[in-house]
Amino acid sequence: MQPFSHLIVFIMQRLTDNLNPTPATDQLVARCKKGDVRAFKELYDTYSAAMYNICLRMTGNITDAEDTLQEAFMQVFGNIGKLEQAGSVTAWIKRIVVNHCLSHLRRKKVYFEEVDRVEVEEEPSVDEAGFTGTVNAVKEAIAALPVGYKTVLNLYLFEEYSHKEIAGMLDISESTVKTQYMRAKEKVRQMVSQKL
Amino acid sequence: MSEHNFEDFIRQHRAGFEEQGPNARVWKGLEQQLKAQQTHTPKVVQLLKRHWLKAAAVLVLIVNSVMIYQFLQFKKQQQDLGTISPELQEAKLYYTSQIEQKLEDIRQYSPEALGLDSTARKELELRNDTYQLLEKELEANPGNERIRSAMVRYYQMKLDLLDKILEELQAKQPGTKTFNHHEREI
Repeated sequence: MQPFSHLIVFIMQRLTDNLNPTPATDQLVARCKKGDVRAFKELYDTYSAAMYNICLRMTGNITDAEDTLQEAFMQVFGNIGKLEQAGSVTAWIKRIVVNHCLSHLRRKKVYFEEVDRVEVEEEPSVDEAGFTGTVNAVKEAIAALPVGYKTVLNLYLFEEYSHKEIAGMLDISESTVKTQYMRAKEKVRQMVSQKL
Repeated sequence: MSEHNFEDFIRQHRAGFEEQGPNARVWKGLEQQLKAQQTHTPKVVQLLKRHWLKAAAVLVLIVNSVMIYQFLQFKKQQQDLGTISPELQEAKLYYTSQIEQKLEDIRQYSPEALGLDSTARKELELRNDTYQLLEKELEANPGNERIRSAMVRYYQMKLDLLDKILEELQAKQPGTKTFNHHEREI
């Protein structure tokens, strides 16, 4: 029951965040639209930690994460005038940051490729199996994944995008995303269990 | 270490996967970029960038208004006299073409032969101030016969004047060929 309650709380938070922007967020976005640098700073202070973590997970190192974050925030400041609903600011910023991370990976010649359809059907499911491990062990295992798997796993597990959304972002099929996610999960499980 | 489903494990330990926020140098870099951007972009351009849609809408509105105004003025000029007095419009067309013909003939003489200074020659081209005044008067008083006849008389006088000038020029320089209507039409 506990996992479901977490999920419900999370969904409710996302819905209320998107549908009912607080007056403070509204005002902050309005000030940013006027080009107020202090408002930019407030916006940065509000979102930079969460967005930096996305960059760090996606790029895998501090220097690239900081550069990507800076580029992404410049785009946020430059395009905030186009943001129609202040309530969707979190999702909007997050999408810009993720796009910058993906561009960074593409610049580093990371390609997201389709996997064989037959393989997809034969993929073993690890969903039902239990998982034992520590946070550090999982972190290390994720960091050691091939970039393609790591990207899919991060986008699904940490950034909470659907398989369909990820497929659109990476320009691959939804079944490939599902397969890569399952493989990534299995690899993490194997690496963690080896350390136990 | 209890046993979980993998996704549940991540959700339950989500906070443990988060690192501290970025180093202060990221904001410093952003601040510098923002400052550089603002100093390089003039205030007007910044405003236009921010309100480009409004600016475009205002521009379209102004252009449209000017075009509509010009179109209406043009239609008015075209239609006014024709609506008020079709006969007068016909007379205007006739006299205008006649006057233009005479002016063309006069233009064939050199300024020396013409014996008129440039101001006087310009006068000959005749800005139809008087006529335009009469036309406005007629618009205000469409039934006024005196204005109608004054307009016709104005053209006749102008034509007579040009005829006299041409006659004098021909008397002075008989060799110079001027064309009459029939010759042109043939």
